[in-house]
Amino acid sequence: MINVKEILDKLGIQEINNGVSTGAEWFEPAGAITNSVSPIDGKEIAKVKNATMEDYEMVVAKAQAAFKVWRTVPAPVRGEVVRQIGEALRKYKHELGALVTLEMGKIYQEGLGEVQEMIDICDFAVGQARLINGVSLQSERPQHRLFEQYQPLGLVGIVTSYNFPVAVWAWNSALAIAAGDVVIWKPSSKTPITAIATQKIIRDVLIANNVPEGVFNLIVAKSSVMGDNFIADKRIPLMSVTGSTAVGKRVGGIVGKRLGKTILELGGNNAVIITPDADIPMAIASTVFGTVGTAGQRCTTTRRVIIHESIYEEVKNKMVAAYGKITPKIGNPLDENFLVGPLIDKGSVDLFLNAVSSVEKEGGKVLIGGQVMEGKGFESGNFVMPCIAEAENHFHIVQEETFAPIVYLLKYSGDINNAVAINNAVPQGLSSACFTLNIREAETFLSAVGSDCGIANINVGTSGAEIGGAFGGEKDTGGGRESGSDAWKAYMRRQTSTVNYSADLPLAQGIKFDL
Amino acid sequence: MQMQIQKEITVEDLVEKYPFAVRFLAEKGIRCIACGEPIWGTLEEACEEKGMDSTSIDQIVIELNNLSNT
Repeated sequence: MINVKEILDKLGIQEINNGVSTGAEWFEPAGAITNSVSPIDGKEIAKVKNATMEDYEMVVAKAQAAFKVWRTVPAPVRGEVVRQIGEALRKYKHELGALVTLEMGKIYQEGLGEVQEMIDICDFAVGQARLINGVSLQSERPQHRLFEQYQPLGLVGIVTSYNFPVAVWAWNSALAIAAGDVVIWKPSSKTPITAIATQKIIRDVLIANNVPEGVFNLIVAKSSVMGDNFIADKRIPLMSVTGSTAVGKRVGGIVGKRLGKTILELGGNNAVIITPDADIPMAIASTVFGTVGTAGQRCTTTRRVIIHESIYEEVKNKMVAAYGKITPKIGNPLDENFLVGPLIDKGSVDLFLNAVSSVEKEGGKVLIGGQVMEGKGFESGNFVMPCIAEAENHFHIVQEETFAPIVYLLKYSGDINNAVAINNAVPQGLSSACFTLNIREAETFLSAVGSDCGIANINVGTSGAEIGGAFGGEKDTGGGRESGSDAWKAYMRRQTSTVNYSADLPLAQGIKFDL
Repeated sequence: MQMQIQKEITVEDLVEKYPFAVRFLAEKGIRCIACGEPIWGTLEEACEEKGMDSTSIDQIVIELNNLSNT
């Protein structure tokens, strides 16, 4: 078992920690002192001094000043800083991964995976720093050059959620920093200690490279101090928010009023389609990881399984059997013998229980699970038995995202188009998957009449995306894209330029304007 | 009876100080927590989002205070 005290000591976590940093420097804020507790046993990990409005203003001023310097640093030099951050994360992968597990509750392997995602996006951003590019276009005017380029944008606000307490910061920061922006990070109030630890891990890199104070900012604050005012702050041109659709709509409305930019990565209601042509053992194994991994607390967790009626009973029975094997694997996520850890808190447990009772009230049937675990090791009250329920897609509770391990089995008949219709008949549009060996079904699912989600996979489940692809979804999921592919463009200001190297002044569209 | 919970309380503070409110409000169709995080804004705003009028909101506040005092 992992030695918690040793981990906290190595990461520089103290009994009471300051919640404000502008990079290498830390400040003692005068806000409320809050404590972070582990969902595993309910015990306190450490305390945090929260920021006040004065702290916020100080950080924004430093960030503004730092941006003026940072935007002039060549992008490959900025990328080199990101490379060294990736190296620092490699050095502390075990400790930070364990702290993620301790504070958030995901199993240790997933904690390590989260830090690996941070490392991967740093590696990606190092290359991207040399690939920030624009296109050259053909001007209609003689001896004119027409082209596009991308400039640093400015301050980027990053609001992260507890379920990926540090990886989402890395997705955003690695690209933003390489792009020449500066970041202000507001971590989840449920996981401030992993944020503080991350900021401490990168400290030596910032000092060694003379990175100005104000490039990497961290503010731990309550939403009453750093909520709507943060989102409404015109000094911050881009807000990247990971959270619920409810929060995203609020953010979108406020930022929209000031015509700012957003990257919204919001809720999902992700489905797996299993067709008669599926490799069923593969589909079951993948789907069970998608439903119970991170105890159902991933944005991409599989929430619905759409099964063809001809194989419905077989898939149902095999899933229930697989869940039966999960029960003994529920336990302390720091112990590598377990596969499912706790929910983040009792509020989430209550919502899980509410979903279980709601699906039954609406006419569904619970097949397995749905209870709170009791007995030795489960004293925190945050461990639940993952639930499978038969339901119908139109049920109110099925249309919602319940951030817990409850999955709804839905039946379809006819061809793949009927399954796609069910897949798409929810407000959210994050991730989707289809298990089939039939190329017609697969290509239909991926076609213009197929899945309407930002992520659509064949024979790969809904969760566990690689960083190389752009991550995000459509509809109530918010439309933002983070991480790989061309997501970097969101962190930059696009500029179209025309250079006239002729001796004349021809106007576009052939307009005559002779003085 | 002392009214500890006011409609102006932030949802973040409500769920932290009065965790029982999560299920109580969920059963009335008001979600305090989404994606595991408290939604932003006040209790009043969360109720208004559900289309509740001021009388209904006042009643919710009374019921929450009653639960808090039991």
